[in-house]
Order: sequence, then C-alpha cells, then structure tokens
Amino acid sequence: MKDPYDILGVSRSASADDIRKAYRKLAKQSHPDLNPGDKDAESRFKEASAAYDLLSDSEKRRRFDAGEIDEQGAERQREHYYRDFAGGANADPRYYTASGFADFGDADDVLAELFARAGRRRRGGDLHFRLRVNFLDAVNGGKERVTLPDGRTVDITIPPGAEEGQVLRLRGQGEAAPQQGEAGDALIELSVAAHPLFERRGHDIVLELPITLAEAVAGAKVKTPTVHGAVMLAVPKNSSSGAVLRLRGKGVRRSDGSFGDQLVKLKLVLPPTPDAELEAFANSWSGRADYQPRKDWP
Amino acid sequence: MTLAISEFLARAELDEATLEVWVTEGWLIPDQGSGAFGEGDLARARLIKDLMKDLGVNAEGVDIILHLVDQIHSLRGALHAASRAHEGE
Repeated sequence: MKDPYDILGVSRSASADDIRKAYRKLAKQSHPDLNPGDKDAESRFKEASAAYDLLSDSEKRRRFDAGEIDEQGAERQREHYYRDFAGGANADPRYYTASGFADFGDADDVLAELFARAGRRRRGGDLHFRLRVNFLDAVNGGKERVTLPDGRTVDITIPPGAEEGQVLRLRGQGEAAPQQGEAGDALIELSVAAHPLFERRGHDIVLELPITLAEAVAGAKVKTPTVHGAVMLAVPKNSSSGAVLRLRGKGVRRSDGSFGDQLVKLKLVLPPTPDAELEAFANSWSGRADYQPRKDWP
Repeated sequence: MTLAISEFLARAELDEATLEVWVTEGWLIPDQGSGAFGEGDLARARLIKDLMKDLGVNAEGVDIILHLVDQIHSLRGALHAASRAHEGE
C-alpha cells in the first residue's frame, strides 16, 4: 500500500476536516455502488478507505506518524457491494424502477424497440398464436375477430400487405405480469392462405390469364381480376402464350404507401376437343417466312 | 437466499430500531413472500451505512441517492437485456 497521505492527497499536517473532505471526494468517485460501471472503482475505493480508516482515527494516525505502525493490514474486509446484486439478470424486482427510462418506450425509434424488449423480462409472458387469413385480407388489410384460447375475444387489424409469417403484436393481451408490471403481449403469426387465381411475388401479384385464339390473334379487351377489383385489360394484337403484361399499381401496398404491380401472364387456350374447322383453317394458312418460333435454338 | 433476521442485523451491524426506520423509508424492502432479507439487502444496507457514516449524507440525501441508484441499476439491467437481445438476433 502507498502512503495514506499520498492516497488521500493531503499533507502530513492536514486537519481531520481536510482528511474527511479529501476522503469524501475520492469515495464519491470510487465507491463501487456510486460508480457501478467502473470496474477499477473497487480497488481505488479500498485503498482510499484503508487510508481514511488509518488517518481518521487520531490515535492510529499518531502511531503511524510516529512510525509505531505501518499502513499494512488496514484494509476493510468486504465481500460484496450492492452493485453485485443489482441490475443483472438476477436483480431483485423489489428495487426495480423504470422511472429513469420509461419515456423511451413511447418514442418510435431504435432505442424504444430495444427498451421494449429489455423491459419485457419483467412483464408478463408473451402468448403466441397463429392466425390463418385469406389471401385478399392479407393483401388489402382487414379485420378479424378471434377468440384466444383463454376465452377472450380480440379484434385483430391485419395491415395491408401483410406477409406470410408476419407477426402482429397486440400490446397487453398476453399473460398478466407476475407482480405489478405490465401484461405481456399476444403475438400473432399470420399464415396466408393460397388464392385460386393470384400468386404473390413480393409486392407484385402474378395472374395467369387464359385467352382464346381469336383474342390472341386479333387482340381484345379482356376483363381481368386484380386484387383491387376487375379491370379491362387490353391484350395486344398477335400476343403469344407466355407474354407478360403489366398492370401498374395493381399489386400489394408497400409500407411507403406505393403499390406493386400485377403481372398478367397470357396463356393461349385452344378448344377443349379438336376442331375440324380450326384444323382445316390452320392448315390452309400458308404461313410466312419469319414465322419460325424455334429459329433461335442452337 | 434469505438470512435470519439476527444474522442480517449482526452482519450489517445494525440495530432493530434502525432497520425498522429503513424499511419504513422504503430503503430496504423485505421479500414479499417470506418477509426476509437476503445478501443483496445486506450489501444495500452497507451502502446506506457508507453514505450516512463516511460520506456524511443525511436521511433526505440517502433517500434521493437510493432512488437514483435504483434507476441506474434498472437502466443498466435494461441495457444489458437489450444488448443481449440485440446480439441474439
């Protein structure tokens, strides 16, 4: 141990009052419980306390000054500080208070999200459910009234553009807190049912549109379903099977409020059974030089 | 882990009347089930003694300091949990 006067930063002639002041100043900066994040605090505090114990006792100080005792063995024995029990995962909820950061949970930012998750430890448990929603409700949004396993009925708002596996959080609808904390949340994982016509690809909707030979050759306005209702789609003259037409803005709503597109893939469909007249007509057509659909093949 | 009240008083170097005052002030809160104190409460009692004896803090000051210390630890706990949750993603 260093010289106790050096540790406290006082002269050998310092008064008891000076020594006390010097110690209090050091203790404020080094007491482990007043500086819970400072790992070195404990050793500095021990040193300062030992020096103070020696110099604050006038008899011990006199004997030290006279060289009768040295600075050894004066350290206080202390197994633990309060900080060793507080704030960790096993911290006692009796002394817990959110009053230092409760307002973070109100803001809509990264910290709020982190604190909301951190605070959840002391709240009631979250309950997990799965909800199957139909395709169009997931695309356009909707309301669903569901009965939870414990008998409560809740109205769930499905946001437009909801995706497979998306989790909706119903605040406070989970388990009650063990003590006076907030109830947990109900977490509802969505599973989106398939649609007979539409297929979702990100924010676009894909639809296969069957067309007749006449529509493919001559072009036509064809009534085409979209997730927002039917529209008349102009199929251009001379459209081949597999051609894709784009209906802008007829897809799924994005979080920024814009919409994806609907992609319409044409599918030329011949009559269900062979037709003699059509066969004769096709054979009678002389064709033309540039009509070679496989000409690019290697 | 809970301590017998006699052990708690002996190790904290406290008398029963003082303990009663500290509990009334809300500085120490016994376990709600058993009514007993644990090692954490013992360390907290030593902090209170440090404040009052060596650091010259009066009762009003102790009250405020404990409230702030509790806030700091709750905040630290929340930050730890948040950073763990963040790492776990």
